[in-house]
Amino acid sequence: MKIVLYLIIVAIIFILPLTTLGSEGGSSDPFSQTKFVPAISFVMDVSYLRRNLELTGFEMPGFIHAGHSNGHAHSGSLLNGENGFNLNYAELNLFATVDPYFDLFTAFHLGEDHFEVEEAYVTTRKLPHGFGLKMGKFLSAFGRINAQHAHTWNFQELPLVYRVFFGEDGLNEKGFQLNWVAPTDFYLSLGFELFQGENSTSFGLEGTEIVNEDNGSEIEVEGARGPGLFTVYAKTSVDIGDLIILGGVSYAGGETRSIHETEDREHVLSGRSRISGLDITIKYLLDSYRYISLQTEYIDRQFEGEFYEAGSLEGSEFSRSQSGFYSELVYRFSKLWRTALRYDLLNRNNVLINGADSELPEDMKRYSFMIDYTPTEFSRIRLQYNNNRYLYLDGDLKTFSELNLQLNISIGAHGAHPF
Amino acid sequence: MKRKILIIVFIGLLSLTSVVEARLRVLASYNYIADLVEKIGGDNVKVTPLAKGYKDPHYVTPRPSFIAKMRKADLLIINGGQLEIGWIPPILKKANNPRINPGNKGFLDLFSFIDGIDVPKEISRAHGDVHPDGNPHFHLDPENILIISGVIRDKLIDLDLSHKGIFTKRHKEFVEKWRKKMSEWEKALEKFSGKNVVQYHKNFDYFLKSFNMKQLGTLEPVPGIPPSTKHILEMIEVINNKGAEFIIHDVYHMKKPSRFVNRETGVKLVVLPHDVGSVDEAIDIVSLFDEIVRRLLK
Repeated sequence: MKIVLYLIIVAIIFILPLTTLGSEGGSSDPFSQTKFVPAISFVMDVSYLRRNLELTGFEMPGFIHAGHSNGHAHSGSLLNGENGFNLNYAELNLFATVDPYFDLFTAFHLGEDHFEVEEAYVTTRKLPHGFGLKMGKFLSAFGRINAQHAHTWNFQELPLVYRVFFGEDGLNEKGFQLNWVAPTDFYLSLGFELFQGENSTSFGLEGTEIVNEDNGSEIEVEGARGPGLFTVYAKTSVDIGDLIILGGVSYAGGETRSIHETEDREHVLSGRSRISGLDITIKYLLDSYRYISLQTEYIDRQFEGEFYEAGSLEGSEFSRSQSGFYSELVYRFSKLWRTALRYDLLNRNNVLINGADSELPEDMKRYSFMIDYTPTEFSRIRLQYNNNRYLYLDGDLKTFSELNLQLNISIGAHGAHPF
Repeated sequence: MKRKILIIVFIGLLSLTSVVEARLRVLASYNYIADLVEKIGGDNVKVTPLAKGYKDPHYVTPRPSFIAKMRKADLLIINGGQLEIGWIPPILKKANNPRINPGNKGFLDLFSFIDGIDVPKEISRAHGDVHPDGNPHFHLDPENILIISGVIRDKLIDLDLSHKGIFTKRHKEFVEKWRKKMSEWEKALEKFSGKNVVQYHKNFDYFLKSFNMKQLGTLEPVPGIPPSTKHILEMIEVINNKGAEFIIHDVYHMKKPSRFVNRETGVKLVVLPHDVGSVDEAIDIVSLFDEIVRRLLK
């Protein structure tokens, strides 16, 4: 399957341009279709990293287990996996108008040894009254940063609160989105999304059977039927001269089935998660190029359900009430240079098992600083420093630092300037 | 009960969309377009510009409020030539308004009616911020204003046939006034005909061509790339060898490099407005050109 997809990509990159060249003579091929080549862009992200800690065996109690060693939790993005040089990702985007009714957008996420359809969706062109429909696999419009692609983020990685609630790829699901733009003088957009709900960090559908090896008894954890996740959101914005304020509220609710296999045993969570988010961005434009922007998101996760562990005969009542936020201040001080500070904090971490508080640590945090240089809209060099205080080993906090030099390059179709 | 209230609120909001404003709602990417629409459409259109006249037209912040404006528009008029490529496409997509999508009746790309100059033979970003169809700053050639004012008149008639008479009449009045102004400007700038000029960015190529001035080069080594010391020194040498009348600078780029060349060569530095609203004096398309001419003569 992967090989077939690779071949398609190779065909698109190499063969289409050649056929375009061949057809420039004009009428030599009356059935030539080369004018219909979609817009293509390609993004590459590489970095050089110094980190003063080998990331194996650590956990974020209540959020990420030791079995999921940090940064390697997912087959997908591996941002800054290793000390030294990293190819973080390559991304191939194709987009075109399909017909009078649809536009299609795709984003293929490529790693050194993997291929992933990060996004592939159509949007409608003809719906009246300010409605729009999006169908396929795409990044949810939950929150502010979730729908943005990695190369438009202000820092190299997602905020901590996104990583612990949605994973390193954010909330990226199959399903549809119905959105509506209100006919008001200020910006107001409402949306509803229905998703399969396979996000392995907070949701998931698959059930399992847990076998007690001592006596052979089994506990069956029933799976859930998709679609298992929905979101609703509202976004609004007003301008006060050159001050732009954008705010949003989001909610995601769905089935949770998560199976973790740690070194010694398997354990399973089954229940429902509700995630609420509040975001605000304030941007002040100083002139054509310079701006100051403050962006904050607060996200809260509630889970109610059962906890099963291999070896035990029945499930335990399990609930967690967790929240966190990030705040980033960006100053673009010239056409080519930006600098930014970010503060990440997971401020609440209440996990109750059969009503008993697990007393997990509550102030996991990270401080980040970056400065970047953007000589054109197609290249960016960024230096970032992270002071990390969120990884634990045997109950002890391990503080570590990361210094990262990142190069992000794009070619082909002109990308949009993000707001 | 809750659901019923929600449905009622929703229908209420929907009904807002059907409150039809009698006037045609026109959005213009830049101020000069908005002014032309107002000159031809008068009280029968409600026109709103998106970009601010005093800012760099290449780097417009895609404000979310633009989405709300696009949502309600009957007509979107853009400069075209890829000047808006970085900021219009994403907000247009988010606006969910099929009327103003490219290819539909409510979308107008002015550049498609113009013969672009400086169409690059080789399309590569090694040459900086290139526009494959040619230099997009066409509106500073007064002849092109005549062409697009006709295009805008036709489009307004196309969308609002009931005011055909008024649009035609107002357009005719504008053209008469414009032609008169054109001969004034020609006469005033005659003495610069054939003279050499240096620009910071390739903003005024159409203007220079129209008034028969020769362009020696730009202080930007390639479009969109800030001047390097090496390139500046080369330009100073070119100016010293061939002589130049002006160094033309726009209102939004840093003036430091142009000031330096001005000091080194003694060639006059003029800051010229490029759009309506870029300086206080340029309140409409006519005063924009008046002000350019006045600053060149000063």
